[in-house]
Amino acid sequence: MKDLSLYTIPIGYMIVYVVLILISGLWLFLLSQGLGSSEGVMYTIQNVINAPETKSLEGIIEVATPHIFAMGSLVFVVAHFMLFSTKIAQKHALIVAMLLFVFALFDIFAYLPITFGLLLSGWIKLLSMLLFVLLFLSMLAMVGFSL
Amino acid sequence: MKFLVTKDLAHSRLLTYLMGSVVFMILIYLGLDTALHSYAIGLDMPGIEATLFGDAENFVEPILIDSLLLQVHIDLFMTLFALLILSSIYIRLYANKPMIKWTVHFLFMLGMLTPLMLLLSYFAGNFFAYMWLMGFLIWHILAVIMAFVILKRLLFR
Repeated sequence: MKDLSLYTIPIGYMIVYVVLILISGLWLFLLSQGLGSSEGVMYTIQNVINAPETKSLEGIIEVATPHIFAMGSLVFVVAHFMLFSTKIAQKHALIVAMLLFVFALFDIFAYLPITFGLLLSGWIKLLSMLLFVLLFLSMLAMVGFSL
Repeated sequence: MKFLVTKDLAHSRLLTYLMGSVVFMILIYLGLDTALHSYAIGLDMPGIEATLFGDAENFVEPILIDSLLLQVHIDLFMTLFALLILSSIYIRLYANKPMIKWTVHFLFMLGMLTPLMLLLSYFAGNFFAYMWLMGFLIWHILAVIMAFVILKRLLFR
């Protein structure tokens, strides 16, 4: 039988890579909302809530297209390692994984109601990002705990 | 990953061809990724410095932080997938070799630190740009060697 303990190396690095991807994604979002020219992160977040940057439908699709594939495949790859976990029940992993897919979709399309003028505040985008990131960190913690 | 470690597939011809093909595709990806970065960032110090800090003499504006961060974001994602696939197959084929653990560690560390060096160089100067260039070339060369070693085992065993 192969030495399975070696597979913990790529899985461990995967957790770190995903955290970095999440951080750079959040930073990119805040930059698109004016972080570079404003007074700080809190000011930018307030800006998102009060007056989010306007985005065209084309702009949303341009961002959504790679993200729908990337987030879907990343959630799948991370979550599938829970198949081998002997410490956490697959039932719990299943719930977290399915919620992750739902929150990923919610996050990707959260800007649509703002673009169509149904919502004037950007709280929905912040909430969807926060839920997705927190849940993804939980999934990563589950994988890390199972190593 | 589960399929790659299943013992029953040890002599599967289909799996051998699939692994060989995906490694071949990753080889092409590594080549194209190098070409892409030479266009987007540059693969020599004057080119990298012009991209990151601009070139007043030739009226070249420095790259926007949004564009650079997007490149780093994409690089991390692509590197993760390429290295996960490569290292999984490498571990499957060479699990008994003593150096494998450190090779995989080294590859993942370089692949992770390289985009961060690019970001650091934007804020902290061209020392990190040099580090990025070295790291980028070394991890690509190492990944290419790993891919060839995998193909050698798959094709000539």
